[in-house]
Amino acid sequence: MIQLDGVIKRFGANTVLDGIDLRIAPGEVVSILGASGSGKSTLIRCLNGLERLDAGAISVDGARIDTPAGLQAARRACATVFQLFNLYPHMTALQNVTLAPVEVLKVPRRQAEEAARALLASVGLGERADAYPAQLSGGQRQRVGICRALAMKPRYLLLDEVTSALDPEMTAEVLAILAKLAHEGTTMLFVTHEIEFARQISSRIVFLEQGRLLADLPTAQFFAPDGGLAQPRIAQFLSKMSKS
Amino acid sequence: MRYSGFTWHDVVVLLQGLGVSVGLFLATTIIGLALGLAWATVRYYRTPVLAPLVAALAELLKNSPVLVQLFLVFFGLPVLLGADLTPVEAALITLSGNTAAFVYVIATSSIESVGHEQLETARVFGLSRWQTLRRVVAPQAAAFGFGPLTGLLINQLQVTSLISVIGVVDLTKVGAILNVRTLEPFLVWSVIGVLYYLMARLIARVCARAETRLRAHSEWKGL
Repeated sequence: MIQLDGVIKRFGANTVLDGIDLRIAPGEVVSILGASGSGKSTLIRCLNGLERLDAGAISVDGARIDTPAGLQAARRACATVFQLFNLYPHMTALQNVTLAPVEVLKVPRRQAEEAARALLASVGLGERADAYPAQLSGGQRQRVGICRALAMKPRYLLLDEVTSALDPEMTAEVLAILAKLAHEGTTMLFVTHEIEFARQISSRIVFLEQGRLLADLPTAQFFAPDGGLAQPRIAQFLSKMSKS
Repeated sequence: MRYSGFTWHDVVVLLQGLGVSVGLFLATTIIGLALGLAWATVRYYRTPVLAPLVAALAELLKNSPVLVQLFLVFFGLPVLLGADLTPVEAALITLSGNTAAFVYVIATSSIESVGHEQLETARVFGLSRWQTLRRVVAPQAAAFGFGPLTGLLINQLQVTSLISVIGVVDLTKVGAILNVRTLEPFLVWSVIGVLYYLMARLIARVCARAETRLRAHSEWKGL
């Protein structure tokens, strides 16, 4: 269980997260929607321990991230896929995937490479294992990014606008993989602008607006006229996003 | 000493001088690289007390003339230590320190050139600070820093000629000796100059090859 209690994060005078309470249980796929600047990415950064909280607490399976040991445990439980891929440019696809398992989880190199090749093959990159990120397309890079996260065998997969830097065709190839993962029961926290896709794969939808949770509802209810859509701000956002 | 023409023995003397220059260059490069990288690591870890100390030392070394440093070490340090230094020892200390200071500057700026998101990604995946440095930051920084390092090493090779003034019989000192004996300054200094030139080209060649290997991952092959 990922647990956020009263999380507040400020940058100077700007309150980016304003008292967030959120629970994500194993097996859930939770999508976080919201306009740019609503605090979605900051939420992920806080979960990853990259930002210091101004108030509140975050814990992952009981490990509070405000202690070094807790943070280390939380980071092992979660794995992140980044908006701009953040692959290591000096390493091949295979090396990108095996680095953390070998260094952090102490998996024997050969075993890690076998697992990585299997993962890369499962996303259609079996032939590109020895390519450097610069030699891959955006969609291929993000698929490597997903493999890198999955190689850590995380209990929670954090996805931070993973298709925002991709064109529609590449977006489709990445989303297909995520749909498969959701289907297999991977627990995911999915920060996205892909509303239609979020609707298909999520068990719950969270709507962020200026650092506050405007809605935290089961997917069907979120899109129901008497549910999330009853809130004017959400209705406005959804209609605007579906037009574009 | 009587004036006289060139003899075959001069070639041997010249080669000895060349050997001393190359030897000192290699030794001070290795020591300088080790020291400079160690200092950069201290900075990377933001070690309290030590990090600002190292930064100040590097500033001092790179902002004063090497010749002055050389005199300070050769003439000044023995007063402090109460024991004489040989010219070679003084040259080793001074040039190693000087190389270290510039290696430190190149290394720290190269480390800072590595994208911040790279560090964050490694942290998020649970890599320790040392693992992040070794596997993620250092390889990328090395690719950035190799060009400036090549320039530095070529410059440091030329700087070794300064040690002739405290009596180290390096290539330049051999040139001075031959010049005085033969009174053929144009010929002697041309030969000496060409020898330095060839060594510099060799360094550039070796470094270029290493840099190509470090940049194997990048599509950008340079101009």
